[in-house]
Parts: sequence; C-alpha cells; structure tokens
Amino acid sequence: MKKFIAMAFTAVFTMGLLTACGNKAEDTAAGSAAPEENAAETASEEGEAASQDKEETAGRTFTVGFDAEFPPYGYMDENGGYTGFDLELAAEVCARNGWEFVAQPIDWDSKDMELSSGSIDCIWNGFTMQGREDSYTWSVPYVDNSQVFVVPADAGISTQADLAGKVVGVQKDSSALAALETDAAALAITFADLQQYGDYNVAFMDLEQGAIDALAIDIGVANYQISSRGDAFVILEEKLASEQYGIGFKLGNEELKNQVEATLLEMAEDGTFMEIAEKYADFGLTDSVCLGK
Amino acid sequence: MSVTTMFLQLAGGMATTAEIFFLTLLFSLPLGLAISFGRMSKMGALRVISKFYISVMRGTPLMLQLIVVYFAPYYVFGIRISSGYRFTAVILAFVLNYAAYFAEIYRSGIESMPVGQYEAAKVLGYGRSQTFFKIILPQVIKRILPPVTNETITLVKDTSLAFVLAEAEMFTIAKQIAAKQTSIMPLMAAGVFYYIFNLAVAGFMEYAEKKMNYYR
Repeated sequence: MKKFIAMAFTAVFTMGLLTACGNKAEDTAAGSAAPEENAAETASEEGEAASQDKEETAGRTFTVGFDAEFPPYGYMDENGGYTGFDLELAAEVCARNGWEFVAQPIDWDSKDMELSSGSIDCIWNGFTMQGREDSYTWSVPYVDNSQVFVVPADAGISTQADLAGKVVGVQKDSSALAALETDAAALAITFADLQQYGDYNVAFMDLEQGAIDALAIDIGVANYQISSRGDAFVILEEKLASEQYGIGFKLGNEELKNQVEATLLEMAEDGTFMEIAEKYADFGLTDSVCLGK
Repeated sequence: MSVTTMFLQLAGGMATTAEIFFLTLLFSLPLGLAISFGRMSKMGALRVISKFYISVMRGTPLMLQLIVVYFAPYYVFGIRISSGYRFTAVILAFVLNYAAYFAEIYRSGIESMPVGQYEAAKVLGYGRSQTFFKIILPQVIKRILPPVTNETITLVKDTSLAFVLAEAEMFTIAKQIAAKQTSIMPLMAAGVFYYIFNLAVAGFMEYAEKKMNYYR
C-alpha cells in the first residue's frame, strides 16, 4: 500500500511539473498595461499619431479576454495552446505593433468585471455588437454573423414554424437568447420550453441525445460543431437574427481601440485578414467576414 | 488532439490544481487553529468576532468569496489590479474559507479533551502553553484526522471553482478540450485525475493515522 501511494504521488507530480510551464505564461505576463500610460498624447494629429503610437507603445502587453469554449473563434488547439480566428487576428495585430500578446481565457459571466478592472484589455471572441452598443467602445465590425437554429437531420423540422411546441436550447447570456427575448419573442412563445445552457458543448450533447429538439446558436459555432460531429444535424435556412461581431474595449478606451482598429484595417488591406479567414473556411468564415473583401 | 497531448494538458492543469491545494492547506491549517483559539477565547469580543467570521465563511458560497476577494480591490477601493493578483486571490479566498471549517474541526478536537488531563498537567507543573502543545495538541491532531481528511478531499474537488477567476486549473482545461473535441471524454479523464489524486490524499492520511496510533 505504502509503495503504491508513493508511486501514485510521484507519477502525478512529475507529470504536473513537466507540463506546468504551459499555463504559467499567462499568469506572469501582466495584463496591467493601463491605458492611461499614453493618455497624454491623445490630442496629436491623426496621420502621425498612428506611427508615433506604434513606437511609444511597443513592448506593452495586450491581453485578450476570450471564452476558450467557443470554437472556431477561440479554443484550445491540437497542442494545448489557444487558437482560433479571433486569437490569430489578435496575435497578428500584436506582432505588427510590437506588443506582447496574452490570450487570457475568462469565465464569460465575469467578462465585464474583468474588463473594467483592467485585467484584460479587450474582449475579442465572436462578440456580438447588437444590443451592447452602449456598454463598450467598439471597433469596426469584422464578421457578419447570424443566429440560426440547428436541428437533427431526421427530426422533420425545416422551418421556424415547425418549432412550435418543441423544446429549444440556447446559451445563457447569448445574443441568440437576446433575439428570442426581443425581436423574435413572438416565435419564442410558440416553443414548449426554452432551455438555457452554460456552454454549447453540453447543449449540443443534449440535442444529440434528444432531450431538446433544436438549438439556437451562432452560425460559426454551429458549423464547427456539425463539421466535428458529423452530418446528423442541419441548420435551418430561415435565420433567427443577423448581427455583427466587433472587438469590445472598455467604454472610453478610444485610443487603444483606434490603434487596434487601424492595424486590423491595414491587415484587411494587404490580404492578411483574408488569409487567416481561409484557415477557417471549413466553418464558413470566408463567407461571413465583412472586412478584406 | 491526441490522447497523449490531452493527458499532458490535463496534467498541466493538475499542477495548478495541486498548487492551489497545497498552498491552501499550508496557510489554512495554522490560520484555522488561530481562529479556533479566538472562538474559544475568554475574551467576549474575540469570541464574537471569530464566531461571526466562521458563520460568514461557512454561510456564503465559496464561488462568491472568490469573486469578492478578486474584484473588491477595484470595485470597492478603486485599486487597479494586475494579472498576477489572479492567483493570489484564488489562494486567499480558499485559505479564508477553509480556515473557517478547520477552526471548527480543531475546536471539536480540543473541547473533547477531558478536564482531568489539564488538571494532571497542572499538578505535574506544566505551564499553560506547555500543556497545550505537549499534551493536548498531539492528541487533538490524532482525533481530528478523519474530519480533516474529509475537508482535504473536498478541497481537491473545490479547486475547480477557481475558474470563476479565470484560473485555468484542470477542470477548466478539461472543459476547453471537451469543447474543442465536441466530446465528453476529456471530462471523464479529468474525473480519473481527481480520483487518483484523492486516492493518494486518502492513502497518505490513512498512513498518518496509523503512524499516530500510539497510546494503545
């Protein structure tokens, strides 16, 4: 018994120690890069300011807050690092500005507290602008997203009218839920029930095992799930809502927003933006992006 | 993602989990003893404060305590925090919470000691602190090991709450891998990790109990 315990302990901890470096990086890289640092030069002229800012702020850290359970926009890759369309864009923006890029996975429920307390610099993660216009300082939209319904292919549901009397799932605090509560409230009232989930993975599993009949979801995420789970599911053609994704900064943080936005537009101009989108073409991103076309 | 990568990732998360676990025990066990002294103190004010502390820490969810410890500096006092505070806040909240539970466990142990022992120690010329540290405490530790084991095992599983502060411990990593692979398998693997860890904890505590099985 003693030997076994000793072995178990050793095994667990050597494994732990060997791989401990993986997630320490984001702890040490301080996200304290306070926007006030360069608040003094906000007043300078447009053209020069951009290039000047670049030099002034080089070396700062740029901490992106994201939900790591939101593929293809932000998720864990094959090797355990964080990747995704949004994170690759953010990394490129950082590379061009000489910033240190920090990808900080957050609890989506705490995103506002994280942002206003300064532990992240922006939320860049398939972040819907509609309905949140006044709560953040927004970049230009870069993805035309839509909210759709996913149903099992053999369920015999082909229009939104067929959803009457069915149980529909949705992520809590999502824009699909917001749509169902406002513009599409008349539709939502026909459902037997609206079931809210913490994350899409669990929601999809529930759909798969038949506990719910349909799922209201972002089209990019739906495409990712379907391409990964096989074609037992279909997306209804009739869309629930159309909206746009932007990068959300703390309200009033115009300076950082302008700088990120300028770099993003520059990337759209020289084709880098589209190059990154093409990596995610399987999930329909080349169709839905609205920059660089 | 290959199975090997998945296990390596989970093991990386396990390192964070283990770190939270050991640091929490390291600080909350002594703090708990101090609070239990306060709780049994002859000074009324100290007793009331300790009692209130314990009732708040036990009476509110640990998740809420984590959020309060992390966000209060900015939202209450307006102090800008840096990312390094994240982990500190996790440890702080866990320590404050677990110390309250440990305090009551210590108290149960200390109060279960027969008065005769104190009297005997006095007759033998032991001072108050001598009596406590040489005679009472060793027996208390022996007696409270089973409930401490309970708390310790709960602590291993509670570490998953650290994610409300975006601390990527093992369960968070498992959920992220699950989202990436759109499968439930990584969560099962996480369960195996927790189980093995707790098996080791329980085994160690059993060993400690046996070691302390003197006097009989």
